[in-house]
Amino acid sequence: MTPDTPRLAAGAPKQRSRVRRRLNSALRMFAALVFAGGIYAIVAPGGAQGAAPLTPAAEAGKALYDVSCISCHGANAQGVPGRGPSLIGVGSAAVEFQVETGRMPAARQEAQAERKDPMFTNDQARQLGAFIQELGGGPQLPEGEDFASKGNIARGGQLYRINCSSCHAFSGGGGALSSGKYAPSLDLATDRQIYAAMLTGPQNMPVFGDNELDPQDKFDIIAYVQSLQTDSDPGGWGLGRFGPVTEGLAIFLVGVVALVFAALWIAGKS
Amino acid sequence: MSETNTQVRDAAGVDVANPNLTRFDIVREGARRDGVEIVHYEPQYPPGSAGERRMTRIVAFFFLLTGIMSTLFVVAFIWWPWEYELGPHASKYYTPILGLTLGLALVGVGLGVLTWGKKLLPHEIAIQERHDGPSSPEEQKLTGTTLQFIGDEMGLGRRPILKWSLLGLAPLGLAAAAIPIGALIKDPHHPDILFKTGWAGATPTNPIRLQHDDGTLVRPEMVSTGGQITVFPNIPGGSSNHYADSPTLLIHLREDDAAKLNGQLYTINQGSTWSSFVAYSKICTHAGCPASLYEQQTNRLLCPCHQSQFLITDNARPIFGPATRSLPMLPISVDKEGFLVATGDYKVPVGPAFWEKD
Amino acid sequence: MKRRKVDLKALPGKSAQEVDTRLPVATPLRGVLNKVFPDHWSFLLGEIALFSFIILLLTGTFLALFFEPSLQEVHYDGSYLPLQGVEMSRAYETALDLSFDVRGGLIMRQMHHWAALLFMAAIVVHMFRIFMTGAFRKPREINWIIGLSMFWLGFTEGFAGYSLPDDALSGTGLRIASAIMLSIPVIGSWVTTSLFGGEFPGEIILSRLYILHVFLLPLILLALVSIHVGLVFVQKHTQWPGPGRTNKNVVGERMFPRYAIKQGGFFMLVFAIIALMGGLFQINPIWLFGPYEAAVVSAGSQPDWYVMFLDGSTRLMPAWDIRFLGYNIPPLFWPTVVLPGILSVLPMAYPWIEARWKKDYASHNLLQRPRDVPDRTGLAAMAGAFYLVLTISGGNDIVADKFHISLNAMTWAGRIGLLVLPPLAYYFARRLALGLQQHDREVLAHGVETGIIKRLPDGRFVEVHQPLVAPDEHGHTDLPYVGWTVPKKMNRLGALGPAIRGFFRPIEQSAPPKQEEQPREEVTSGKP
Repeated sequence: MTPDTPRLAAGAPKQRSRVRRRLNSALRMFAALVFAGGIYAIVAPGGAQGAAPLTPAAEAGKALYDVSCISCHGANAQGVPGRGPSLIGVGSAAVEFQVETGRMPAARQEAQAERKDPMFTNDQARQLGAFIQELGGGPQLPEGEDFASKGNIARGGQLYRINCSSCHAFSGGGGALSSGKYAPSLDLATDRQIYAAMLTGPQNMPVFGDNELDPQDKFDIIAYVQSLQTDSDPGGWGLGRFGPVTEGLAIFLVGVVALVFAALWIAGKS
Repeated sequence: MSETNTQVRDAAGVDVANPNLTRFDIVREGARRDGVEIVHYEPQYPPGSAGERRMTRIVAFFFLLTGIMSTLFVVAFIWWPWEYELGPHASKYYTPILGLTLGLALVGVGLGVLTWGKKLLPHEIAIQERHDGPSSPEEQKLTGTTLQFIGDEMGLGRRPILKWSLLGLAPLGLAAAAIPIGALIKDPHHPDILFKTGWAGATPTNPIRLQHDDGTLVRPEMVSTGGQITVFPNIPGGSSNHYADSPTLLIHLREDDAAKLNGQLYTINQGSTWSSFVAYSKICTHAGCPASLYEQQTNRLLCPCHQSQFLITDNARPIFGPATRSLPMLPISVDKEGFLVATGDYKVPVGPAFWEKD
Repeated sequence: MKRRKVDLKALPGKSAQEVDTRLPVATPLRGVLNKVFPDHWSFLLGEIALFSFIILLLTGTFLALFFEPSLQEVHYDGSYLPLQGVEMSRAYETALDLSFDVRGGLIMRQMHHWAALLFMAAIVVHMFRIFMTGAFRKPREINWIIGLSMFWLGFTEGFAGYSLPDDALSGTGLRIASAIMLSIPVIGSWVTTSLFGGEFPGEIILSRLYILHVFLLPLILLALVSIHVGLVFVQKHTQWPGPGRTNKNVVGERMFPRYAIKQGGFFMLVFAIIALMGGLFQINPIWLFGPYEAAVVSAGSQPDWYVMFLDGSTRLMPAWDIRFLGYNIPPLFWPTVVLPGILSVLPMAYPWIEARWKKDYASHNLLQRPRDVPDRTGLAAMAGAFYLVLTISGGNDIVADKFHISLNAMTWAGRIGLLVLPPLAYYFARRLALGLQQHDREVLAHGVETGIIKRLPDGRFVEVHQPLVAPDEHGHTDLPYVGWTVPKKMNRLGALGPAIRGFFRPIEQSAPPKQEEQPREEVTSGKP
């Protein structure tokens, strides 16, 4: 709806009557939507509790939710101020990402939730996802586990460099952000996790919805990121692929140290 | 030669023609004439001793190592699969194997030669006199006078006209400098490249559309809330390095963030945002790196080169790091066909500051 | 027909005579063969740089056979799959071809790069050695200046090489370099556009950097290296003080064969280390960086280590912008133009500064141990701390990320550290030097600590000292302090058997103390 208004402004003055008509219809449309939304807001929570049937997966997810998530995100995933955000509309993609990478349940409140050993299995994470999805809707992941094979590595590399490398570094090793935040390493990320991260923009990561990067773009990027992991370095040990920092360290710790020892031996009395 | 061990005698006046002299005596005499006195000379191992034989074997071993490793190097160089294959593959070991064999071959030569020099050659201490310090006053005077005399011969003092006419040669130096300088010099202000970008042609009536790096045009719905994309001017070569100062970061802010930004726009940025979209130059005002680390929750933009941080919701004002200037804002709007457009160039020069940039 | 029999044994002698009749070399050649060089491990540090330079010339020539410094746009179709079809410059394409489509090209590229890092590392280490031992003093000031110039030339040469492949790191570095030039007051914009032939990046910059990198700078470096080594040859090497060593002689080994063999062997070891690193450690994987595009940057974009200190100073610089009358001096100017300016001029003037400071205008051929000149050692520590803080700050985002420290905290730590640590380093290094010196003087005055504790009649416990020479009636010895190693252990005096030799493990068994030396009068003379 919002794009409508500026388009009006850009319209030529002589079209005023049509503009007015459109404005009227837009206003009416808006009112209808507000009304419908209001009705939904009143009805929906009640529906979720009782009548609307959850799928078996979502039921299982709800059971898990009620044990592990409810204290921060609230009984109906509406969020608890100061503890956890609302999960209405975040979609199963976000839930899967946060739970599968162990970021949720969070250990404590801090600048950024860290990747750690997940508390739930991937199946449980998907059940949780199904529950949140059926509760509030939102972005979902495509079916399947293997997205990398559907992508084009070279094109993915280009997209990666312009969209991702500024934070995650050329190597996917991650990098520092402001004040203690960071872009995590992509070493351990699965295809689905990378897809979910792009789709939902967890924490400070910008959202790359299907409008910015369509599913094929995402498959390409995933193919490139995973090829970074599988393609071993052709030039020997990659020194962590940190770039010139570790290279500089290596020349002193290996090169200079070895040669100073050699010099000590050469000039030593014997 | 062990009998010469440490026998230091004053060899002054040795007759080199004397047939009774040993070779070492002659060497020592040669050294003496070069101002070098060999004061200590002692084999480390008695000739033929077990120690000497062991050292000889070690040297031979190192040279053998070099032979083997060099051969392996050549074999690997020719027969090991070297052409690149994606994923784990034997070709990934090509360079390490070359390095290892070549390195060990060189280690063999090095250690072999060094062991030879250190262990098999006799110990020696030689003392050489230094002859530095200034030349003798007499020498100084002779040379100095010669130099002065050269000056006299040229006669500059006596012929003042000549002295002044030499100044006339100065333009020759200018001429020599003129070619490289004149050829290299480029006026930064004509054409005005420092103050203009690829968006320069844009006007409110004749805007330039925003495009992705692959040339697709950008519509507002192509950027999700909390998302960002890099956009370029939709002109020929707009995404190329030819317009290196034109890359722009198009950000779709959340409604409340957009409201915050629109509430505190600089005068110069008034009317440059469109709805909850804002476009900042991607080129850092500090050193020109793409400042593109967008933190969508804190609304900061970080430059990875020197860690300047810009606050997106406040005109991309620098809030940390060495940058002193806000990122310039590109005035954007949407045209009739629903594409995002720039309605003008940046209002201030993009990128790092310079003398003429106020 | 009977041919005259060739006497093979006499052949070398005869040909040498033939040469000498045409070019009388016998006397000067013997002078070279007999030239004496002192032997110490720290005298070999400069050689690492020299040998790396030779390897740089060799590998660089190989690379030049395949590399094309052109910014012409091409589509990659080489064998590196993840970049196939990508638009890039010809320079980047040929650099990729060197890595993937030239047999052995990758190891040559990597050896070239490692050799460059080693070259600069050796220069810095060597420079510290020269500084801390006072080898820059009269009459060697000129060589000190040449050495410093070579650091800055190597710095520029390295940066040009880093910029040539036109990968994303190269381009980012060049862009910063252009910003640095822009920041120079008054002429900045003119210098930049003149060098880039217009606006950054232009079309011509790689060709200009290339001729700089493969011709102009190596030529100047080669000339300076020759003068540098030539001056060492003519002025003769400095030496440590010690028995028989004076300001007027050189004690060591003759150049041939021992010294030359050691140099040759060391060259092979330097070459070996570079080959091993070139093969086993990946450096500058340009294929991961991707081609340079103005809109692309990677987290953790750093220059090579020897440029990192300037990157660090840039990161730590507070946001101070000077504006007046419509003109402006950007904050980039101070850490990247003014600081290197100071850092090149000040050390060059240091030999004369120190001569005035210490009122010492004499020629010196004997080195000083760092402990014997506490002020200078303190300065060296101060300079080292300054350089280290800046260098670490140049990689502070990597440190912050990998050690989970806030990036902003790293920046502040660097800013504070840069002001606080150098004076602390000066203080502690100076105290350390004074303490070591004091200990040497104590040994000279009282003798070596024996480890034997004696109880005096009044109940005090004292350690018995072994004097180095017969003491006077107060138990003191009056040995002059010459600035050289003083024995600190009994076995150095032969009292407890010889010191055990060997580098990592003993190469001989320690001899048992000789029985007949037991009744020595060593303990009776002891006084605390």
